[in-house]
Amino acid sequence: MNKQIANGLRVGLTFGIVNIFLFLIKFPVIAGTIIKKIIPNFIVALFPINPDILDILIFIGLIGIWAGASGGRKLDEKSDNWLTSFVGGAAAGLVNALLIGALVFILGSLTDAHVKINAYLAAILPAVVKLFLLDQNTLNGSLTQFVFSFVAGALGGVLGFAFRGQWFASLKNKWNAAWASLTENPQIKKTFARPIARIALSALGIAFLLFIPQIAGKYWNYTIGTVGIYVLLGLGLNIVVGFAGLLDLGYVAFFAIGAYTVALLTAPNPHHLMWNFWTTLPIGVVLAAAAGILLGIPVLRMRGDYLAIVTLGFGEIIRILATSDLLTSFTGGPRGVTAIGQPTLFGKPFSSDTDFVYIIFIGIAIAIFITIQLRSSRIGRAWEAMREDETVAQAMGINTLSHKLMAFAIGAALAGLGGVLFASRNQFTGPEDHNLMVSINVLSVVIVGGMGSIPGVIAGAFALKGLPEILREVQDYRILIFGALLVAMMIWRPEGLWPTARRSMELHSADPEDPESGEAKTSEDKP
Amino acid sequence: MKKYLKPINLMELLRPLGQLIVFSLGSAAVLSIIVLALAIVLNNTAAGDKIFAQLKVSLFAYTVANLPQVLVDGLTLGFVYAAIALGYTMVYGVLEFINFAHSEIFAIGAFVGVEILIALQNAGLIGSGSSLFMDYVFLILAMLAGMAVAGGAAIAMERIAYRPLRNAPRLVPLISAIGVSFFLQDAIRLTESLTTGQFNRIFPTFGNFDKRITFGKIPMGAAELPFSVPIKSFIVIIAAVLMLVVLNYLVNATKVGKAIRAVAQDRATASLMGIDVNHIIAITFLIGGALGGAAGLLYALKFTRIDPYVGFYPGLKAFTAAVLGGIGNLTGALLGGIILGLLETFAGSYLSIFTMGAAGVEYKDIFAFAILILVLIFRPNGLLGENVTEKV
Repeated sequence: MNKQIANGLRVGLTFGIVNIFLFLIKFPVIAGTIIKKIIPNFIVALFPINPDILDILIFIGLIGIWAGASGGRKLDEKSDNWLTSFVGGAAAGLVNALLIGALVFILGSLTDAHVKINAYLAAILPAVVKLFLLDQNTLNGSLTQFVFSFVAGALGGVLGFAFRGQWFASLKNKWNAAWASLTENPQIKKTFARPIARIALSALGIAFLLFIPQIAGKYWNYTIGTVGIYVLLGLGLNIVVGFAGLLDLGYVAFFAIGAYTVALLTAPNPHHLMWNFWTTLPIGVVLAAAAGILLGIPVLRMRGDYLAIVTLGFGEIIRILATSDLLTSFTGGPRGVTAIGQPTLFGKPFSSDTDFVYIIFIGIAIAIFITIQLRSSRIGRAWEAMREDETVAQAMGINTLSHKLMAFAIGAALAGLGGVLFASRNQFTGPEDHNLMVSINVLSVVIVGGMGSIPGVIAGAFALKGLPEILREVQDYRILIFGALLVAMMIWRPEGLWPTARRSMELHSADPEDPESGEAKTSEDKP
Repeated sequence: MKKYLKPINLMELLRPLGQLIVFSLGSAAVLSIIVLALAIVLNNTAAGDKIFAQLKVSLFAYTVANLPQVLVDGLTLGFVYAAIALGYTMVYGVLEFINFAHSEIFAIGAFVGVEILIALQNAGLIGSGSSLFMDYVFLILAMLAGMAVAGGAAIAMERIAYRPLRNAPRLVPLISAIGVSFFLQDAIRLTESLTTGQFNRIFPTFGNFDKRITFGKIPMGAAELPFSVPIKSFIVIIAAVLMLVVLNYLVNATKVGKAIRAVAQDRATASLMGIDVNHIIAITFLIGGALGGAAGLLYALKFTRIDPYVGFYPGLKAFTAAVLGGIGNLTGALLGGIILGLLETFAGSYLSIFTMGAAGVEYKDIFAFAILILVLIFRPNGLLGENVTEKV
């Protein structure tokens, strides 16, 4: 029991300190605006209080419940019951609530004394303090905050026990059984296995995809387009990293080559070539693939992290070259290239954001087709063998260099296609579109989605490029949340959002309690 | 009592000094010879004529006259890179993954140190009228504080974001590290903008760090070029050398160091020999983080202005340096850092003159990466990396 209380107090202190930081950057207010988007209005209307305050309370309450759940977590097998969880949660809640209450009280008193807090803490305007005090006077407001967080912590402790206890396990089992009886039902399986059913489903899907851009507004089509381009890039990098197991951190270089090809060939400045978009598209793709092969020949002998850093260097070289003075007359320099040519179809311009969504969809469809065909081909299996163990693959007669080159070239070609579409859609490309962050983002798309998995890449692109677009309010805190989510994701779901069956098995077959099995894995991975 | 009075292993104290001197002199000599040879070749071309028209000296004389300044600047930068690179390489040696967030640890060290100095300046303790002795004391204190916070942050980072992933496939901790890097960058930005909404900081002016010591004049044609080194360059070099020597001693001549090396070599066996692997890994992060933090303050001292993204490029360069020297190898990181610093400064100073302004300063980064790629093509395991034969 004492151990549980000590744990609760420690957790509470951590949560309290983090909470103070969040309050000082007025994060609860920002989180409130997101919550407002998520919760429908009619539910909010049920509560007789100011919706702004309700949203803040929901945020603080969720954090409090989290604090309580982790304060009341299972410390050892024997003494894990309702009471210890409750006490641990309450202890965490108490410390957390004390800190929050004290902070709000101090802020309130200072405001009452007409101290201009925002001179010292830019985010804390009087209006924000008023929200923190829940529209009450200083004493009542901070007391309410205290009681609220305390109760949330205690509740969290109890909830935590409920969710790890047998009650929740049996619920989960029931749900799984119900799901299995539905999906494993031979009748249903048979129906869906029929060709007609599959064709009908695909047709439905395609019709849906064709329909979306028509109803979505300009902004949404732009967002869908951006996500789509990241799906394309992700599919390309998926071949390099997911299939062939080559860590490429300079992927943006090929993207840049595609973008600059279309930019320089179609734009009025700096060369005034004004070629047709459809002519330049294959040129951009081929040039990118050629660059992939050219870079690949010298560097693909390296393994693991050396390959990563060399490709990273190559990406940076391309970016700096695009910025540099020497090539300004050729690439437009730091200011980039504007008025890039856009596609026409049957003599009519086909270049609005809506039209581009279709072009990008077609690009994705081609990429998915290529990926599926390659995966089950001889080449795909050679890649897989190489990824699992290069030496053995070589011993089995696989020409590793040529297969690596192929992976690099195909990945680069898809990146080139993405670059062409990106530059043409934005009608602009400049060095800042092609910095290291693009490579890192695309790699994150592949890993967060699930390495080697096609639906995973799509899910990853939506999660990493779509969500931040939607969460515009948190613009200021976007990177903070994104970083924390990446870490959390890697800890709790390293196989990605939508993993391939094999990878999720690989990651979960090793018993986490047994260090030896994991140890064997890492030593295999040594370069 | 005897336990604490172990004789100091003098050899281990002197060896890194010797290495540093050899590496510095060696790479400086090689680069100087290359540059001088180039100058002789280019002397009679258009590049030489242009310099002659401007300054009335031959290109060769110009190159020679500027050489000492370039060498000192290059070494200063090189030692900063080396100190950061050691953090990367130590973590890589033990855990075999690229700690992308090390550049943010560097930034944390810089910000903590600079914030303390700004607070001291506002309190009137440093700045105009303060004694020189106290200025140095406060600088050292700020640096120690930066090291402590950066080391603590590194330990926390390891505990939260890397330890749960110890046995995961290698890309997983890499992504986690990228996540930590984003998170810390923004956390620094938000913390720094708490007070005024401004997140840039300027290293306060105090002490005699900006003063230059003049070593005499170098004749360049009819004119004379003063050769002077700012005091802060000396501080950077001395601090970096001290840290490198202490680190080397720690790793090669103490019990903790032995444990670190054992864990790096074989984690499972080390734990069978009674070494607390988690503890040792935490210590490795502490040391790497503290070094990074100190390097951060040195960087702030040298370049004055810092922002939350300040760690990104030095971190990238330092990582490049670590790979150049052979990652996982402490001596290699030292050598890589020195070479990269010198290379960058040489390229920055001479490239635009040799190419008649066509390729400016911004090409120094291209140069650094191109050399890296070249070295790795011919020595895929880095300059000092051992050739690991793979077990089948």
